[in-house]
Amino acid sequence: MTGNQHISQEDLALHALQALSEAESAVVCAHLAQCALCRDELAELSGNVAMIGLGVRQHSVPAGSRQRFLDRVAADASLSEQSAKQEKRKQVLPFPYKAWIPWATAAALAILAISLFVKNTALHQELADASGKVTDLKGQSARAQQVLDLLTSHSAQRVLLTASKTPAEPTGRAIYLADSGSLIFQANNLKLLASDKTYELWVIPAKGKPIPAGLFRSDATGNASVVLPPLHRGVPAKAFGVTIEKAEGSDTPTAPIILLGTTASAAGE
Amino acid sequence: MALERTHHSDYDPSDDLLLERVRDGNQQAMAAVFDRYGGMVYSVALRVLKDPGQAEDVMQEIFFQLWSKPDAFVQGRGSLCGWLMVLARNRAIDTIRRRKPTDSPDEVVLPCTLASDTERNVLMEKVRVVLKDLPLEQQKSIDLAYFEGLSHSEIAERTGDPLGTVKTRIRLALMGIRKALAA
Repeated sequence: MTGNQHISQEDLALHALQALSEAESAVVCAHLAQCALCRDELAELSGNVAMIGLGVRQHSVPAGSRQRFLDRVAADASLSEQSAKQEKRKQVLPFPYKAWIPWATAAALAILAISLFVKNTALHQELADASGKVTDLKGQSARAQQVLDLLTSHSAQRVLLTASKTPAEPTGRAIYLADSGSLIFQANNLKLLASDKTYELWVIPAKGKPIPAGLFRSDATGNASVVLPPLHRGVPAKAFGVTIEKAEGSDTPTAPIILLGTTASAAGE
Repeated sequence: MALERTHHSDYDPSDDLLLERVRDGNQQAMAAVFDRYGGMVYSVALRVLKDPGQAEDVMQEIFFQLWSKPDAFVQGRGSLCGWLMVLARNRAIDTIRRRKPTDSPDEVVLPCTLASDTERNVLMEKVRVVLKDLPLEQQKSIDLAYFEGLSHSEIAERTGDPLGTVKTRIRLALMGIRKALAA
């Protein structure tokens, strides 16, 4: 049954009954694909096979099977209808919908770009303002540091001008800002103390006990300074004083007070 | 969707007309096809499978295939009734053999027309007589091939007959059916 020969009626009958082996069936199929005569013969033999089926005892379909089938068909039809509607919608609005997408995107991007440009400009302005303030602060800070360095430097020349031929006396100068509790004190012509002694600065408030404002010792030339000791804010000072205390300092001033100066407001009272 | 059961008569629409409507998605037409051939398809599947549940599954799949892919049956080429009968038997055998569903038959030409219920009933009775009148060896070979799905070599092995004899018996049986029905 190969080559140009037709398939035998026996093999066609077996093929109609699917009773050939796979290999034999493949050969038959290949021949049938190009032989109308054998296809016709097979169609008739298949009709005979169908007749065998008609000869079986007839049964009614099981109860409910018709409705199950029709429900399935209805569900499938509904699904197909929905798909068809969706397809129709796509066909109705295809071009305008799709055509506007790039334009809408471009417009959105343009708005976004303008918004970013405006925001960027504002940020640049804020940055410029902040830079100016920083420059100012730097200048102020540098000047303050210069003042501080001058006041605290041991190498700075400190000269007290007095009436001529007057012996040098110990002096002190306190600069105090009560609101911030800031204090700078400078002393000159102090005697050099023994190692177990120290000078102690006192803030003497308008009311209450003297407040310790720092321990200090003079250098070889008799100069000393106390810069920004830790003090409470908002304590108005009536006077400032310096005493000589033990090396560890004291909570209360020990007489005598070797330097004492009253504030202008206290002096006027 | 509840469709009324159709009680077809000699004036029922033809298979071709029903199939045209099925192709247009007409559920009523599909119901009519089911009513016309459902019992026959189910009976063949049940005879092969001997299991009502499996037979119904085969029947449902065959008719749903016709609904979803009506072009699988090429209109104008053979008989819808014959095509459904062959498909029912083949799908039932596929179930027994637990293999993928084989292709639908290309064309099935019946030896006589089946335009109405009456003609179908007459033909069925005639077929039963023809099959009963076949020589016993031919009947046995046909039974083993058609209802059990055995190949010719398996039949030869089962019966102990030579392969050529089995082939000849099957051919003669099929030709005998054609001849008897065409008479």
